Amino acid sequence: MSYHILANCSGCGACARICPTEAIAGEKKSLHVIDPRRCLECGACGKICPVAAVRDAFGIVCRRVKRSAWEKPRLDEKLCMSCGICIDACPANCLDWSEPVMKKEPHAYPLLREEKLCIGCGFCARECPVGAIAMTAPTTVSERGVDD
Amino acid sequence: MSGGYLGRILWVDLVAGACREEEVADEIYGQFLSGIGLAVRLLGDRIPPGADPLGPENVLAFVSGLLTGTGALFSGRWMVAGKSPLTGGWGDANCGGTLSPAIKRCGYDGIFFTGVSPRPVYLLVDDGRPELRDASHLWGKDALAAEEELIREAGGHARAAVIGPAGEKLSLIAGICNDRGRIAARSGLGAVMGAKRLKGLVLKGKRRIPVHHREEVQRLSRECNKWVQFQPPFVTGTMTAYVGTLMRLLPTQMAMDGLVYKLLLKKWGTVSMNQMSVEMGDAPIMNWKGTSADWGIGKSRTVNPDAFRVLERVKYHCYSCPLGCGGICATKGPFGEVHKPEYESVLALGGLCMNSDLESIITMNELLNRAGMDTISAGGTVAFAMECYEQGILSRDDLDGLDLRWGNSAAMIALIEKMIRREGVGDLLADGAKRAAEKIGRGAGACAIHAGGQELPMHDGRNDPGFNVHYSVEATPGRHTIGAQLYYEMFRLWKRIPSLPRPPLFYRKRRKYLADEEKAVMAAACSKFMNVANGAGLCMFGLFLGAERIPSFAWLNAAAGWRKSPEEYLAIGAAIQNRKQEFNRRQGIDARSLQVPDRVLGRPPQRRGANRGRTMDLEKMRSDYWEQFGWDREKGLPKDRP
Repeated sequence: MSYHILANCSGCGACARICPTEAIAGEKKSLHVIDPRRCLECGACGKICPVAAVRDAFGIVCRRVKRSAWEKPRLDEKLCMSCGICIDACPANCLDWSEPVMKKEPHAYPLLREEKLCIGCGFCARECPVGAIAMTAPTTVSERGVDD
Repeated sequence: MSGGYLGRILWVDLVAGACREEEVADEIYGQFLSGIGLAVRLLGDRIPPGADPLGPENVLAFVSGLLTGTGALFSGRWMVAGKSPLTGGWGDANCGGTLSPAIKRCGYDGIFFTGVSPRPVYLLVDDGRPELRDASHLWGKDALAAEEELIREAGGHARAAVIGPAGEKLSLIAGICNDRGRIAARSGLGAVMGAKRLKGLVLKGKRRIPVHHREEVQRLSRECNKWVQFQPPFVTGTMTAYVGTLMRLLPTQMAMDGLVYKLLLKKWGTVSMNQMSVEMGDAPIMNWKGTSADWGIGKSRTVNPDAFRVLERVKYHCYSCPLGCGGICATKGPFGEVHKPEYESVLALGGLCMNSDLESIITMNELLNRAGMDTISAGGTVAFAMECYEQGILSRDDLDGLDLRWGNSAAMIALIEKMIRREGVGDLLADGAKRAAEKIGRGAGACAIHAGGQELPMHDGRNDPGFNVHYSVEATPGRHTIGAQLYYEMFRLWKRIPSLPRPPLFYRKRRKYLADEEKAVMAAACSKFMNVANGAGLCMFGLFLGAERIPSFAWLNAAAGWRKSPEEYLAIGAAIQNRKQEFNRRQGIDARSLQVPDRVLGRPPQRRGANRGRTMDLEKMRSDYWEQFGWDREKGLPKDRP
């Protein structure tokens, strides 16, 4: 299963630029194509397409979401066990290890180092076995009660 | 295909420079799992009898585990396999870090190299697009520099495994490195890579790994993690030594619960055992002829676990590990930040050579990691040379002027540098103690402590006879990561397989040395279980939590969508063991020749120290073990093709 680009594609190339696996190819101003073998179903192409020309793996046409409203991972350090599964799962390479944090022992934790590269796919949260990562949109109210 | 594995492997023909993908049938995973099972199933028949391990007929496999990337904890081990140039039989080695998921993220369960390349090359897999590239500019570089350069050339965010100068120079004790100094060290497979002129592989993939029931795998992981995070305040570093002394003095032994070992591992890593092992008689001293009395607390104080803790800047976790037994240490020497040495390395370069200088141990460990040479075998070989020097078999002239008396750390560093460069006497010793003893003659063979050519690890079979059994019966002899009576107690397999014997909580120490059937059942269970673990990619330290706390079988069922019972999994482990033994038979290995030397068996018994008076009937224990697999009692040959 893979995402698919529909005939109303304007050929703007936004999807090809954001795709983390370079699965999308096409000439400027012409129909783009997704290589199903390389597609991770991360959904970035669907969220960024300005003309709603991307269909997801279930056949549903994706809705555009403003980039500033894309969800970002938020880590709960109390639950995190520094196993690195999320860092490995991230297709956009935007997670990295933090500087050591001294608790009982000095551990490093995952950190959203390249925030601009994050495509909000949620693979990190999905693969975290202990549920230490939550995907939250920047507009939602945080625990501290302020918009961030 | 249901989950856990990808059903596809990559064949790389180094002669033609061509890559080919191959689909692997579901039945093979069902019968042999992935990882080491997949490797032995595919290589067993493909490497012809009598193949030169350093020639084109040998095949080198890099395999990931079935559970890697599924959300199961402790599942970040990758394995390398092929015919060992060190032992001449089946060879495999195992390592952590982040390479194991990288293999699967590229879309493969394993990458298999055939032939010999006409020039130095490396393999780049960029998201399912494999390509061999020239590595002439990397040849000669140490493992850290080469890894850094390979990742840079791949455009960053990649994982790499490389050989250092030791592998390039075909040292038979060379390993394969990843993650800046972690090393799949045993079996000499770094030399196979060097002979193939394969400097490294660099993997850059982001494929999703299918999981049959991800939520169930994660639920099991959360349950397991509770045990891992349970960490009440425990003993101090200095107290570990006295705990070891107490264990030595008591006439009874307590069956070890791995949860206790977990507490030590989480706090200090494997170095927690440094002094405790010496005191209780688990650590061999002075090339296996010394005792705990020769390297007592006063001498081993320098390698106290706390001495490493103060250097530790941050804990190091392999992929998917909640424990983090590794560490990155800040050192004052020229190397800066280095991986914390492991117990095996500290003792092989410390007590085994009577060396109490911590700084030299860290230096040698890092030199060997960068060169891609096994610290266990290198330490064992240096200890061999030291004993030869002491006995006058090797003179100072033979040693290029080095004064190799016990504990001379400066001479040890100089010798290890020579071994890495294969210079002078280093060339003689770079292939391990057995080969060196054959070339030296003059009775040097009596000083070479090995099983089937592989130097023995830092666990004394006179303290736990189970180690001697596994050193002597495995297709990859001289390995400490398969079984022991202690491991059996910690695996607690009887919690999942009620037919397996449950050791009493307290027992007389002499019970360990009785060659009864129960010991054979325990040893066979360890071998089978570790084959399953190495098929799944699980770390042994996780398994020490005990079968009721680490759900290895349930993880496999949830990830792959199977409904196999623990007994069925052990049967898979037995099938893997059969294949390995069959491989050795085809390669002409006499299973009896893998027996450890008499000194290690306590023949004659030591007169003082923790293991005084200890000896064992290994021949009977070995035959009983062979019988557990249905092999011939006298020769250890599998009767029927598995």
